[in-house]
Amino acid sequence: MKEAEDKSLRPQLCLTNFPFPQILIPPQLPLFPLLRRTILRMTYATALATMLAMPILAPILSAQTNQPSGTAQTPGRAAATTPPLSHDLSGVWMQYPDGDVPGVPGMNAVSNKTRPPLTPWGQAKFDAAKPLVGPRAVPGVENNPELRCEPDGPPKLLNLPNPFEIVQIPGRVLMFFELGHIWREIWTDGRPLPKDPDPTYLGYSVGKWEGDTFVVDTIGFNDKLWDDSYGDPRSDATHLTERYRRLNHDTLELQIIIDDPKAYTKAWVSPPKLHKLEPAWEIAEWFCVLDEDKAYDEVVRKPAGLAPAANK
Amino acid sequence: MQYPEGDVPGTPGMNTVNQRFRPPLTPWGQARLDAARPLVGPKAVPGEENSPTLRCDPDGPPKVLNHPNPFEIVQIPGRMFMFFEEQHIWRTIWADGRALPKDPDPSYLGYAVGKWEGDTFVVETIGFNDKVWADAYGDPRSEQTHLTERYRRLNHDTLELQVTIDDPKSYTKPWVSPPKLHKLESGWEIAEWFCVAEEDKSYDETVRKPAGVAPASNK
Repeated sequence: MKEAEDKSLRPQLCLTNFPFPQILIPPQLPLFPLLRRTILRMTYATALATMLAMPILAPILSAQTNQPSGTAQTPGRAAATTPPLSHDLSGVWMQYPDGDVPGVPGMNAVSNKTRPPLTPWGQAKFDAAKPLVGPRAVPGVENNPELRCEPDGPPKLLNLPNPFEIVQIPGRVLMFFELGHIWREIWTDGRPLPKDPDPTYLGYSVGKWEGDTFVVDTIGFNDKLWDDSYGDPRSDATHLTERYRRLNHDTLELQIIIDDPKAYTKAWVSPPKLHKLEPAWEIAEWFCVLDEDKAYDEVVRKPAGLAPAANK
Repeated sequence: MQYPEGDVPGTPGMNTVNQRFRPPLTPWGQARLDAARPLVGPKAVPGEENSPTLRCDPDGPPKVLNHPNPFEIVQIPGRMFMFFEEQHIWRTIWADGRALPKDPDPSYLGYAVGKWEGDTFVVETIGFNDKVWADAYGDPRSEQTHLTERYRRLNHDTLELQVTIDDPKSYTKPWVSPPKLHKLESGWEIAEWFCVAEEDKSYDETVRKPAGVAPASNK
């Protein structure tokens, strides 16, 4: 990763350049917990596509994002004056919604808007990807890896309405994601990244505290998954950096930097995203099971496919 | 890691659930067993296997406790986690004193609570679905299953596990397996091993045919 690019989008600047909508889930978006509970009863792909394509949330979200930035107080800004920040990230966290793409209730820790130009290899991968959502979605030809129940990995796992729990134990930080019932471990025992790890879905992660920020470095990815829902590639040269900061008791900030020289011409630095502590939530069992997705075509694919009809 | 102990000829069986102690099946259970086409054991018929594992259905207890499948236990206040290498499965066992739920939604892993009884950590699990088997041989697991696991650390390196399956819909009485021993593997880390349907194209060549050859006497 290039140091200059890195610094230019570090948190301080981001907090002023990317005003976050003030969305408090229970009073202002009562739909959301309900949606979550509803999707838990759906099959995996059904729920995934519903979350991504659900038009009912769009007006609410756009109304929120259209707030004048002067009146929007981010939890981060409020908390920035009360150091020191906690080194305890434990708890169930849920990302605040913030749509990148019109009509999509995007909750993207990886922001499409800051994506650097693709390399020729990356462009070919991207062209071959047929996403379920976004401007490139074409009904009937979708080939998202999750439609085959491939396990999701970082950074895509950090997108979507997908609560995760963090558990800290000596030498390790564990993350449990509801989506796909995935867990990953981040080694914090001081070990270095391995020299030549076998490519995997989750990669090999080490983490350490840099001041108030828990920095996770991951390498050793395979290239079978996408970086996001829109088909942006993840190559086996990816070096992923996640920067976690607990701004206050209830708020976790996460910034993602993708350094993947095989797919992108420079490092992809996303602005930080905020997550809300959900102390009453427990991560439920939600597996992707191919068997259960037979109803997918009828329930989701056709209706979902209607949205981006302008692309046809 | 469980100590190997073969029950079935030609199979390296590491069976926390022991076939030899299986009680008689109910009619419902028998129909389920008859419909099952396992990959291994005396009922295996090459080319007809329908083990849920072949579709990458998530494995759940008690089957996930069988096989050469290392698991890691992590204890934190109020909870115990189990991480299985096979399919990268993790489960939560609540140890905060909560009761089993009254009417849980059926799931692959069920809902588990645990508590210490003397030297034994006793795990009770209900709320299973009936989509996976109780073992590799096609023995059923119904939604009425109440699973009990009794864990005892006999010494620093040895963990004893005894599994009792109380499933009145499938079996005419509780299925009580003898305890199995597990060895602490302090140098091991649980690796990433997902079941991915796509990657299983080579499955026929590498596993199905060789495994199918063993029980040829059943043909």
